[in-house]
Amino acid sequence: MATPVVDNRQKLLAEILMEKGIPIEYRYGKEHEGVTDREIKNDPTPRANQLKNLYLNSLSSVNVEFPYWYTREWRKWDGEIPIIRRAKSLKAAFSHSTPVIWPGEKLVMGKTYYYRGSFPMPWLSNTFFMAKSDDLYKAALARGGASAGEETKFGAGGGNVTQDFGNVVSIAGKFGIRSEEVPAMIKLAYEWKDKSVEELGHKYEMMVPEYSRKESIMRSIICMFDSGYTLPQGREVINYYYPLQYGFDGLIELCKERKDKVAGRADGDGLVGMDRLYFYDAVITVIEGLQNWILNYAKEAHRLESITDNPVQSKEYGEIAEMLEWIAHYQPRTFKEALQMTCLLHFAVLNEDSISGMSPGRVGQILFPWYEQDIEAGRITKEEVCELLQLHRVKFTCIDCFACSGVVGGVLSSNTFNNLSMGGLNKNGDPEGNELEMLILESSKRLQSTQPTLSCLYDEKLPEDFLLKCAEVVKCGTGYPAFMNNQSAIQFLMRQYGVEGMDLSDARAIAIGGCLETSPCTWMPLTLNGKQYWIPGGAGQPTSVGVHFIANPKVLECVLFNGKDYRTGEQIYPPHNRKLETFEELWQTFCEYYEMTVDCLATTNNIQHDIWRKNSMSVINSFLKPDCLDKGLHIGQLGYRYNATFNVESCGTITMVNSLAALKKLVYDDKKYSLEEMKDALLHNFGFKTAKEVGSFSLLSQVKREDGAKYDKIHHDCLMAPKYGNDDPYADSILRKYEDWFCPMTNKYESLYGRKMYPCQISVSTHGVQGSITLATPDGRLEGTTYSDASMSAYPGTDRNGPFALFNSATVWDHSMSQNSQLNLKIHPSAVKGPEGTRKLLDLTRAYMRKGAFHIQYNVVDSKVLKDAQAHPENYRELLVRVAGFTQYWVELGKPIQDEVIARTEYEEI
Amino acid sequence: MEVKTLHHNDCQNFCPVDVAKGICRRKNELILIDTDTCKSYVQLPKCKFCINFVSTGENMGICKAEQEEPWAYPEMIAVTCKMFNPA
Repeated sequence: MATPVVDNRQKLLAEILMEKGIPIEYRYGKEHEGVTDREIKNDPTPRANQLKNLYLNSLSSVNVEFPYWYTREWRKWDGEIPIIRRAKSLKAAFSHSTPVIWPGEKLVMGKTYYYRGSFPMPWLSNTFFMAKSDDLYKAALARGGASAGEETKFGAGGGNVTQDFGNVVSIAGKFGIRSEEVPAMIKLAYEWKDKSVEELGHKYEMMVPEYSRKESIMRSIICMFDSGYTLPQGREVINYYYPLQYGFDGLIELCKERKDKVAGRADGDGLVGMDRLYFYDAVITVIEGLQNWILNYAKEAHRLESITDNPVQSKEYGEIAEMLEWIAHYQPRTFKEALQMTCLLHFAVLNEDSISGMSPGRVGQILFPWYEQDIEAGRITKEEVCELLQLHRVKFTCIDCFACSGVVGGVLSSNTFNNLSMGGLNKNGDPEGNELEMLILESSKRLQSTQPTLSCLYDEKLPEDFLLKCAEVVKCGTGYPAFMNNQSAIQFLMRQYGVEGMDLSDARAIAIGGCLETSPCTWMPLTLNGKQYWIPGGAGQPTSVGVHFIANPKVLECVLFNGKDYRTGEQIYPPHNRKLETFEELWQTFCEYYEMTVDCLATTNNIQHDIWRKNSMSVINSFLKPDCLDKGLHIGQLGYRYNATFNVESCGTITMVNSLAALKKLVYDDKKYSLEEMKDALLHNFGFKTAKEVGSFSLLSQVKREDGAKYDKIHHDCLMAPKYGNDDPYADSILRKYEDWFCPMTNKYESLYGRKMYPCQISVSTHGVQGSITLATPDGRLEGTTYSDASMSAYPGTDRNGPFALFNSATVWDHSMSQNSQLNLKIHPSAVKGPEGTRKLLDLTRAYMRKGAFHIQYNVVDSKVLKDAQAHPENYRELLVRVAGFTQYWVELGKPIQDEVIARTEYEEI
Repeated sequence: MEVKTLHHNDCQNFCPVDVAKGICRRKNELILIDTDTCKSYVQLPKCKFCINFVSTGENMGICKAEQEEPWAYPEMIAVTCKMFNPA
């Protein structure tokens, strides 16, 4: 085989950076030879392993059973009060969901009858299917005649259905649907024409005077997505309390009593006082639907019990049936029943809306009463608990979220962000980290999977053995648990929700929603067998809502180019016509454009959410969270205790900081280049081909033009300009300046609930997509390549002074001003090997937390493994990596994000 | 409705996993949906097997169990439908 001829003139960015002594795949410390595997391996029980393997062999699958019955019922009740109509539709959909119990399960139920199933919700969003109906119809017809011999292909893509095969049609390269169901799916989409939240929201958002700017911003992808109809709920903490305390029958009785009290009475509230009757009636209706749903599973368990030859398996089906028949009505009696109850409640909420990031909260503290009493009574062993917790992991890993392709792929990387929090303080300020939480950690170590991801609410008071256990689990390489600063979160909560009555006690109930969203929670009194416990749970609105993912470097680009997006040729902002002669003038213009962005996105998204709360309000999540049942009001009527949850999310913070630092240094302070020269270099991508020409948006793949030498010098200087992450005040002072402006700026904007917004600083996967639409940036980054990840991570290869220098840079500002910050660190497994390595990892974490940082998480992995996995995905179906605030199977990540994770600075020693 | 070809997902012994395959509870193994059924086949309630279902076109029909005769589709599983009446 002939050796390919290498064209030396077409150098890759990676090679050029290496020549300049700033390799894009930088290692801090001495490089380890060979490939080092992770220290801690999977060790699930056979049962859990069997069910996990079934997941690994499952495709992301969609059916239309739930939306069919929802829509069929909705049609019947035209003219009914919206919340009643919605409740009846939900009841019909739950009551008709086909129950399936997979062999070996002890915890049962799910979103659909597919193992990894989900479904579209056309009442929220339908235009994608209408726009694609011709293509989908054609694909369905073509697939209808396809050979049955065509088989599923696994490997790259994992469970994603990336293309049509057999009688399966791919939707957006992610979900598969049987071709026979495609006509029904499209018919459902058309049935919601002009009625969905998306379409009605669009109709009314166009009445906002600044709407045309919003459209330009969306087309340019300066903003990633509308939150009103894509993911109207999520990144919040669920609350399992009421059914755990009262049982479903008890809740129906409670609602009936409340109905009698409020019927026909405004009780001083002329606006929504009368609505309480309809809310309680709607809650009764949906609970009846949930009971039907549970009892259908019980019936199926009995059927399986009767037809199963294996006596052990048959007995287990019988036990499942008995468990479900009990918890369909009453308070759970055992740990297993309580765990099952939390699972079904979780799926129930997820089926109510398109939701990403519905976090279970502090499960180890919520379920502790049952655990404690079962252990004391000898009803269960720790090993049995550990297996149930592994089965719980499988159940949560199977959760899929059906949203539009841009959101599922570009933002979520197919993840669903069900974040389980641990540690922190209890109501009285004493440390948690209880025995059940230790078992959660152990089970997460034994069965490594994406969900639920784990967060340790780091507090100085936490027991050392608990923190060491957290550090040990990190070494699995799964990236969990992440560490969040409990005290910083408490300060943020008091500041943001104080106006709604948040006190220190409630602030201590904090848990993480979604990736790393500090979420308002509360304590509720649970009584079990006469003993009272205070258990935590969510008490606030979603935080997946508001202005979501502003591409900071792209806004800066528009400032440099007088408001124009050169990628699309569209004038996004009004021309500022300024010469930008000083850094301050540049900065002020950046702030002005940014505020224009937030303003138009806030008003238009407010309208979308307003349509949602009027026509598609939550009933299930509403009745679960305090204080809806007390007030008789749903989420849209401020039924929750805490409602100031809408936020402004940024992306590419450090790319922006580094770019501002380069401009300040090279253009304004040293005057080495004029602004025009800098702009010329950016427009010409520093002499490189465009990402589009190269056919890849990955930073490793960028190729120099043959005639690109003209920009070598300026590119070199931009790359060598001061960079964040090195404890260099020149760059870090810009981060400080930005945060001191950004955080209070967001407070100027108001949600539809009349509450001030706040900053959220995570990137999820948007640094890939938003990087792809951004020209080269003054820090030397090339057009189309990913931004720096997270918000406090250094740009790959630029943090060269070790982790403590990075920590100093990251903590120049007060993290408690923000809902979060995010720092990802990639560590070579050898650096944390053995018990001594575990201790080092904890000490490193502690050092960062003590500086007032909010968050850190680790990828313990050898980059050589990742490279091999990229080349041979078929060998790495189970490889997990930490991306931003989530853990994902390597093979289910897009290449730009894979490249970005490979490129992150690798710490060979700490 | 006349059903020409039976698939594994028409059988009560089939435990669906995804759009391509499931587990046969009789054989306890993974099987592809679109392969021939065996002699252990037990009909799963679906709209296409219901007397109330009337086909109106490919993969589409109406449900005559309700006065409004709502549209329906033949592959809908009907194990939870109280109106299911095997043809």
